[in-house]
Amino acid sequence: MTTLTMHNLTLRYPRQATATLADLSLAVASGELVVLLGTSGSGKSTLLRLIAGLLEPTAGDIRFDGQSVRALPAHRREAVLMFQKAYLFPFLSVADNIRFGLRVRGVAREQQRIAVQQMLALVELEGLECRFPAQLSGGQQQRVALARALVTQPRVLLLDEPFSSLDTSVRRSLQAAVRRIQRETGVTTVLVTHDLEEALSMADRVALLLDGRIAAYGTPQQVYTRPPTLAAARFLGITTFVAGTLHGCQLTTAAGVWVLGAASACAPAEPPRPAVVAIRPEQITLHPTRPADLPNCVLGQVQEQSYRGDVIEYLLKVAGLPEAVRVRRPTSDAPDPIGPEVWLHLPPAALWEVRAG
Amino acid sequence: MQRGAVGCIWLYALASVLLPLGLFGLHALGPRWFFPALLPDSLSLEPLLALIGNPRTQAALGLSAQVALLVTGLAVLIGYPAARALTFAPLVGRGVILAVLFLPTVIPPIAIGIGLNSLMLQLGLAGTLIGVCIVHLIPVLPYVILTLSSMLSRYDRHYEEQAQVLGAGAWQVWWLVTLPMSLPALAVAALFAFLISWSEYLFTALIGGGRVITLPVLLFALVAGGNPTTLAGVALLIVAVPMLAILLASRLLGGGPQVVGVR
Repeated sequence: MTTLTMHNLTLRYPRQATATLADLSLAVASGELVVLLGTSGSGKSTLLRLIAGLLEPTAGDIRFDGQSVRALPAHRREAVLMFQKAYLFPFLSVADNIRFGLRVRGVAREQQRIAVQQMLALVELEGLECRFPAQLSGGQQQRVALARALVTQPRVLLLDEPFSSLDTSVRRSLQAAVRRIQRETGVTTVLVTHDLEEALSMADRVALLLDGRIAAYGTPQQVYTRPPTLAAARFLGITTFVAGTLHGCQLTTAAGVWVLGAASACAPAEPPRPAVVAIRPEQITLHPTRPADLPNCVLGQVQEQSYRGDVIEYLLKVAGLPEAVRVRRPTSDAPDPIGPEVWLHLPPAALWEVRAG
Repeated sequence: MQRGAVGCIWLYALASVLLPLGLFGLHALGPRWFFPALLPDSLSLEPLLALIGNPRTQAALGLSAQVALLVTGLAVLIGYPAARALTFAPLVGRGVILAVLFLPTVIPPIAIGIGLNSLMLQLGLAGTLIGVCIVHLIPVLPYVILTLSSMLSRYDRHYEEQAQVLGAGAWQVWWLVTLPMSLPALAVAALFAFLISWSEYLFTALIGGGRVITLPVLLFALVAGGNPTTLAGVALLIVAVPMLAILLASRLLGGGPQVVGVR
């Protein structure tokens, strides 16, 4: 069991204006599965290469159990990286592929054989040890690659979008298998993906990486429901941001005065200041008439509505707000037909302040 | 349409290789074939066997094999690192290097051969086996490097990184991954090297100075002698070895799973 910490990691290529990774710090607890979520080019694969030792950081430190591993070359770091493709050695059988890491360490043959059998059982591929990679399906190849990675009992397992080249059904079953195996082996794991659903469903904690910086880090619920910055909120599908002047719990906007947050979280002692609040599209409720006893109600005109299967999505124009408000309503609620004008209710607890950047 | 194309290819093969070879075959097996006769009056293996038994032919055959194999080994040893550097290393002026590398294939060999001869004389390598081998590298290396670097440019280095993170040190990565992954490319390059060196006449004659008598040199010497039977026999010998090499190589490369390493 190993804790993995990154301290002020920076990677800057010569002749490049902005750093690929900028002063990045992140702590992964022992046995935890952290998902690095980000767009392509956000530096997430680069971060894995740094941890694996395939790339040298410009500055900063990487520690396993508090001890710096920067001086250790990739082959002695015991951090195994699995790529998007399985990269099974095509000239070796499944069994020989799996035992590769033991072979280069000079482990006795008999032990290798036992370990290979254990790994094949773990990834549910018993009986395929004599096959060659070309005879396996994509999902099977990734399972063999996982077995090959785990056979040496690495301190850290790094997965670089290992499911992205697979069909949906195969991907689902492999995601479940990886999560199960990760829990069984308790190996500290960092998984990189650009798929929000995959991140939320697999992670103990999600780190949102945007432009080489950690924009949010927390449990899937925390990150999904309360992204702390504007950029993070945008990445997570939030499009409604309202600017105004915040004084205690009251936000004065062009669309009216709104209450936000739980009352206990307010700080009325602070002087008024400009602020931006956000709300998730599925947390706004729609009402044909003005709800009598609810705060934060505004009138909107339906601009567009589209059927999405599980939800109906509305775009509503609200006087005073520059952008149309996006609302997602579950179809299962059998919603009342919506007229051209509708009242929007933004529950105070669903509004939170986001920082710029 | 397709049948027409196949027909054209056969016609080309017939005119360029099969017909001359067939004629040579008849000459080699039919020593008594004089003018108005359409075919030799009898065919026998005897003259060919006699030729193969001849110590002069055997010496030339042995020397040709020695030179070609040595050149192949040297070309692969030099060409592989060169191709790797040209493909992967961050080189400035890669284009210039490639252009210089291919200069020998553009410039007529006779033009540089004379200069090379005097250079080798000064170095004391003229008329020696090693001198001939070194000079053979001039036409051989461009092909070897081109073959290897075109294969390497499609080679995915993730395999090496994968081995590295699994715990393999530099030598283990090379021995257990890089080498097996490169074998098909190396075999093709080696075949090219062997074939070019095997059929090289001009450089051998100029640098060998009549002391390094390979099969092509022997063949040219025999042209002056004017005995069509011996001439045809030696020509067939020169052709036979590359044919065998190509057959062997296609066998080795055809069935293996190695080619999957190419992206």
